[in-house]
Formats: sequence, structure tokens, C-alpha cells
Amino acid sequence: MLRAVSILFLLAFPVPAVRPAQTVSEETTVYYERNCQSCHTIGGGRLAGPDLKGVSERRDRDWLLRFVVDPKGMIDGGDAYAQQLLADARGVYMPAVPGMSKELAGKLLDLIEAESKLEKSRFAGTQVSERPLTPRDIERGRDLFVGRVALTGGAPACLACHTTSSAAGLGGGRLGPDLTDVYARLEGRKALGAWLSSPPSPTMQPIFREQRLEGEEVLALIAYLKDEAEHAREREGVSPVLFLVSSAGFCALVLIAFDFAWRNRYRAVRRPLLHRG
Amino acid sequence: MINDLLLYGALPYAATVVFLIVTIQRYRQRSFTYSSLSSQFLENQHHFWGSVPFHYGLLVVLAGHLLALLLPRAVLWWNAEPLRLYALEITGLAFALLALVGLVNIVVRRASVPKARVVTTTGDWVLNVLLGTQILSGIGVAIVHGWGSSWFSSSVSPWLWSLARLDPEVAWVAPLPWLVKVHIVNAWLLIGVFPFTRLVHVLVVPNPYLWRKTQVVLWNRPRTRSS
Repeated sequence: MLRAVSILFLLAFPVPAVRPAQTVSEETTVYYERNCQSCHTIGGGRLAGPDLKGVSERRDRDWLLRFVVDPKGMIDGGDAYAQQLLADARGVYMPAVPGMSKELAGKLLDLIEAESKLEKSRFAGTQVSERPLTPRDIERGRDLFVGRVALTGGAPACLACHTTSSAAGLGGGRLGPDLTDVYARLEGRKALGAWLSSPPSPTMQPIFREQRLEGEEVLALIAYLKDEAEHAREREGVSPVLFLVSSAGFCALVLIAFDFAWRNRYRAVRRPLLHRG
Repeated sequence: MINDLLLYGALPYAATVVFLIVTIQRYRQRSFTYSSLSSQFLENQHHFWGSVPFHYGLLVVLAGHLLALLLPRAVLWWNAEPLRLYALEITGLAFALLALVGLVNIVVRRASVPKARVVTTTGDWVLNVLLGTQILSGIGVAIVHGWGSSWFSSSVSPWLWSLARLDPEVAWVAPLPWLVKVHIVNAWLLIGVFPFTRLVHVLVVPNPYLWRKTQVVLWNRPRTRSS
């Protein structure tokens, strides 16, 4: 009898399952994937930023909302905990996240809270293989970086915007930062893997959103950048002066060619005519 | 964000609308003003070192931009070999410098040759300032933020195509450095002022001159030394 009553009770008041995928909107999840997971895990340890598992137990919600909306303002405003976070990140400020608002920050906190309750969150960290890196990985990573081997997703080679100490000739691009010591800056394989799997910088985001790197490509690039960081030769700095001088030389040659091509411009017909006139 | 929307979401359309309407209206009502208003007959020595490098420089640089817009994949393929990338970038900068040499000569000549100065309007000076800004910012971008042939293909081309689809995605260009933004915004300003200036001659280039037979012009009236 008691069992029957219990079943009836359960049927009358169904307990909602705590499944983040059902309580958090897809939009918020996608936003988190694109903007947060390259620097934070939920239960996977520290990357560039702290592990967010149980973050709402560490600080109250109002503080977290204010920090997510304006991290730099909070740090520069003298908040002690915010400054501690800055120190933990070795002086690297959490960037202002595009399109962030208090409402969106609240939704993200709901997502983090729900994921923190799970035994293993889907945001526990990027699954970059743990296998040892080989010289072949380094070579492949170099080819991918330079562009000799095309990235499968169709994204442009790293050299388009970045350089490293071993980039020969005129070096790599100068739109993005020099990546010689990025492996050390991001504190290793895991964070760099997360960054490469889902680049968070506003310039890279739109490019890599649809043209993601594959796991093996990420691993090869990690191998190459690790090698760069470990064997960074004394950077002579590929100065743009050589590029400028080469171009100016070419420009001068074209001017000389113009002068040669049109050498009879005034002499053949018009100048004698003018003199006669 | 609002600024980004205005500069990269609204300005391109405003400039294009002005370009189309005024270009057509000017051609219908004042078609004989479609001219470069050349001052070559007034002085042609200094003119050569202004006009020729300027035009050849700009034509090559503009062709490069157009190529990266229409065939971004082909440009990225070409740039996959660093030596080819360097060759392309050096060529681009060389011709940009050529355009700069030309523009400097044009400006100096317009300011220093009395006959040329008389036929130079305020509009011409405004145009020279815009062209100078465009060329200098382009050279600056090439030096400070190279290799533009690659990142233009991957970041700027998608934005331009989004404009063509009438669905501007400003996120492609909003994070780019300020010098690149100056180059982009100034380009749209140039498109906007295009129909008000002598730039309209671009639309009526006498291409048949390239293959027509040579014509020799002779004076048949007596001329004096003083003329």
C-alpha cells in the first residue's frame, strides 16, 4: 500500500532532472564554447584562467556578475580578489568578452553552476592527446604553421598573421603577436591546445568558427611551438626594414624601366616640333 | 560597437548609394564633365613622373586587392610557399611606393607650376588628401601589419562578401588594428566622393587607345618662341 502511494506521489510530482542541456539554452552553450572554454575548464584544472568548477561557491553571484562584465575595471578598481586572480594569471588581464552584459553573464553563471554539479562536465577540457610529441610532429607543425601543408578545415596558415624565431626569410605576418614563446606564456600543452582548438581572440574567432583545427593538427602545432619555446634562439628580430628596402629597390627599378621605355617620349616627334615652332 | 556598425555596416552602403546615384545623375546631366581634366598640355615634363608612376602603381595595387576579394583561396594557395608570399608582398609594396612617388610629384607639380596651379580646384586638393591618406595608410599597413595579402583574403574578403549579401558581418573587421581601419574607412570615403571629382575618368577610360593606330598631331600654323 505504502509502495503504491509512493508511486502515485512520484507520478503526481515528477522531480525535474538536473540536466544542464535542458535548463541552459543552446545559445548560452555556444557562447561559452566560443568565448570562455579556451581559457577556462569546468573541473579540468587551470588553463590561462582558473578552473570554474564551483566558482559560485568561491564568490557571491553579484561579485561574479560584476567581474565577468568588466574584469579590467574590477582589477584596476583595487578589488583584492580580482587582483589575486590577476597575479595567478601572471599579470594577464581577462579580456573583455564581446557582447557581454549582466544578463548574459547570469546565464553563463547558470551554465557553470549546472556543469559544476556533474561528475564530469563536457567543458572539463579539450581532449588533446597525451601521447609524447615526436620530431615528426614538430616537422608537421612547422609545415602547418608556414602553410606548406594546408589546414584541413581551410583556415589560413598561422604565418599569415604570426611569426616565430625560426621563421626564415622575411619572417611571418605582423597582424598578430610573435608566437615564439606562446607555449611558455600559456603555461603548456593543455592551455595551448584549448586555445588552438577554439581560438578566443576577436580576430581569430570568425575565421576559426567554421574552419576548426583537427586534433592531430593541434598536436602538431603544439609540438612545433613547444620546440620554438625551448629552442628559441636569440631573436635577431626579422625587421620589416629588409622588406621595405627590397620593395623600394623594386620600385626604383620600375621607375628606371619607365624612363627607358619612354626615353623617346619628347625627343622623337614633339620636342623637335616644339623647337621648330 | 555602435561605431563599428556605422563604419563597417552603414558607411559602405551610404558610399555605394552616393556613388551610384551621383555617377548616373552626372553622366545624364553633365556627360562632358566626365574627364580627367588633364593638364598635360600645360606642362608635361614633371607631369610624366607624377601621372605615370601614380597610375601604374595604383592599377597593380588595386588589381591585387580585387584578386584577394574575388579569389581568396587562390591567393592563400599562392602564399602557402613563403618565397611566393614574399614575392607577392614585395611587389605589392613596390607598386604602392610607385603610386606614392607619383602622387608626391602630382602634388608638388600642382603646387609649384603656376599654369597647373590655376586649374587645380579645392576638390582636387581634397581628393589629393584622401588619396595620400589611402596610399600612406596602405604602405603603413604593409610594413607594420604584413602579410596583408594573406589576412585580407581570410578576414577582409569575407566581410566584403557579407556586405554584398546585404548582411554585414562587422565582426570580421572590428578587431583589426586602427591603421587597417583608417585604410578601410578612407577607401569608402574615396568611393563616396568619386562621382564629385575628376576620378570619374576611371569610368570612361579610352581603352581602344591601347590598340588603335598611332596618330601624329602636327601644328600647321606658325608659332612664336614666346608661346
